[in-house]
Amino acid sequence: MNAVQTFKLTKEFDGLVAVNGVDLEIKKGELFSLLGPNGAGKTTTIRMLCCLLKPTRGTASILGYDIAKEPFKVKKLIGVSPQDTVLSERLNCWENLALIGKVHGLSSNEVKRRSKELLETMGLMERAKDQVRKFSGGMKRRLSIAMALVHDPELLFLDEPTLGLDPQARRAVWEYIAELKGKKTILLTTHYMEEADFLSERIGIIDEGRVVALGTSQELKTNLLEMRSMVVTAENITAEIIADLQSKYSRLEKVKEKLRISHKDLDFKEIVDYLHSRGVTVYSAVLEQPTLEDVFIQITGKKLRD
Amino acid sequence: MKFWEIGKRNLKEIYRNRVVLGFLLGMPLAFMLVFCSAFAGEQASPIAMSIVDEDHSQSSSAFIQYLGSIEAIELNEPIYSEKSQAQEDLEDSRISFYLFIPSGFEEAKQAQQTVNLELVYKEADPMIGLQVKPIIEAVGSEFLGVAPPLNVELKGTESKIKNETVNFFAPGIAVFGLMILIATGAGMIAGDREKGFLARMLTTPAKPWDFILGYSLPFIPVLIISTLIYLGVGMAMGLTIVGNLGYAFLIFFLIGLCSIGIAMIVGTLLKSESQAPICWVFIVPMAMISGAWFSVEGMPSAVKSVAGALPFIHAIDGSRAIINGSSLSAVMPDLYWLVGWAVVLFAAGIVLFRKKMVS
Repeated sequence: MNAVQTFKLTKEFDGLVAVNGVDLEIKKGELFSLLGPNGAGKTTTIRMLCCLLKPTRGTASILGYDIAKEPFKVKKLIGVSPQDTVLSERLNCWENLALIGKVHGLSSNEVKRRSKELLETMGLMERAKDQVRKFSGGMKRRLSIAMALVHDPELLFLDEPTLGLDPQARRAVWEYIAELKGKKTILLTTHYMEEADFLSERIGIIDEGRVVALGTSQELKTNLLEMRSMVVTAENITAEIIADLQSKYSRLEKVKEKLRISHKDLDFKEIVDYLHSRGVTVYSAVLEQPTLEDVFIQITGKKLRD
Repeated sequence: MKFWEIGKRNLKEIYRNRVVLGFLLGMPLAFMLVFCSAFAGEQASPIAMSIVDEDHSQSSSAFIQYLGSIEAIELNEPIYSEKSQAQEDLEDSRISFYLFIPSGFEEAKQAQQTVNLELVYKEADPMIGLQVKPIIEAVGSEFLGVAPPLNVELKGTESKIKNETVNFFAPGIAVFGLMILIATGAGMIAGDREKGFLARMLTTPAKPWDFILGYSLPFIPVLIISTLIYLGVGMAMGLTIVGNLGYAFLIFFLIGLCSIGIAMIVGTLLKSESQAPICWVFIVPMAMISGAWFSVEGMPSAVKSVAGALPFIHAIDGSRAIINGSSLSAVMPDLYWLVGWAVVLFAAGIVLFRKKMVS
């Protein structure tokens, strides 16, 4: 049984299709990322899976329970950290954690034990008795994730967990999430490709409500990218050489002494040998690692942050 | 007991927010102080009467003196000798009415003929005439002994109520004050919805009724404290509780519950906290047509029907009656209305919450 299974999941708002026939299978214990630009349909998909929105069409089940027919059984099994860091601002960390824990039916002792563990893990123990309205964005985000975990859910939804955080705070949140890998099933949405790349076992690229690519980061890069790129730093590159290279390779860009060459079956050695044979002094030649951004551009024709 | 946890959270959010708490508890205190201070010293004042004596006789002087001895009347000085002077002052609103004693008054009295007196007032203020005429008739009959003799005795009755005005205003202001809970409660739900907190809580196994009860719960202490403030300040300002205080409290509690129920419904419908002040568009007219500040007797029947169908007028009438000494059985119809409304509003709140929160 998959932790998450969707079939043609669709959501329309007044005729506008926000999620369009999404099919997903997320295994138990997997960390799966939905990667896509703002407005791609990531949050709407999560909101349907959390039973906050009714699908217009299609079905979905969470750990075997249908989201439309058995929402309260689903809600017992999930933990959610929403995109907006919504906390009870005049409550302290203990009280926020106790609220979620007790609504999930935990006893006072269980809540206390789990809260202590989480506050220590998240580095919030020192400020645990302060009202959270005085917290920084990073601290709030960490508490939000802790609140999603306090009742020890089987499936964790993290909707843009590092949105709006500075790089240091983002890195800290990544580390906390990485610690959960293998212990929980996690569905994470993000529009940061490096986040999806760093954390995920599998990635679904979503655009305009559709999942347009699915696989591990490496699979996406190797299977979907038609072109490879290399950057050569060299001297004495003449217009004649450039014209010659342009006739052989799909894309060629020259900025000062740097030459970026992209082609489907790019042969690194062949290019370096050719340049040497034409008397060019090659200082360095580097094969560029493709990124998920490249994959996204390849598939959708636009950048992730468009 | 999920509702209890949600309620505890909301209670802490309210009581740790000094602005909200100050508004909830300060508003009733301020209202009661302002209204009761304005009217606390006001006792039933005598009617200020101006007189035109055209007869200039011993009898007319004696009649005027007799009128001046009546507690309910206070004679304005001087006594006019010309009707035209009094008429001019009436038209300039320096006096509100005058009694005209025509020449021939003494002759008619002695001949035991019909004595004609004129009570002159502004047509725009007919209540003056209606109010004063019976007094003049009664006093005149007694003084003149006209046939058929009127046996009207003017006699003041001692009332248990120290200040009728405060006893009229206090229950109305209390009910109006409890209507404030509509705006505050609705704003709280709408705010949590707008900020996404409600959405987060909706991903937990809590049921709609947990939310409705959880959001209502923190307002119960507010309701109790507000009612105690209303009654306490009212009593300090001259409110006399003739009837059973507990029954009056029960009525205030029930209308408070109705207000909270309305707040839950409105809060579910509003999209943001900033829309909550729209509640005042409902609260103020409802308070007016329910008789919070003045009697509804003179209102058109259609308006009275609308007010009668809603709970507020029943709370105001019922609490006034109980405070002024009526028994519980006398206000049972009002109580039935209030209990019925409270049940309907909470049930509607739960149904609406279920419908609106998962779309």
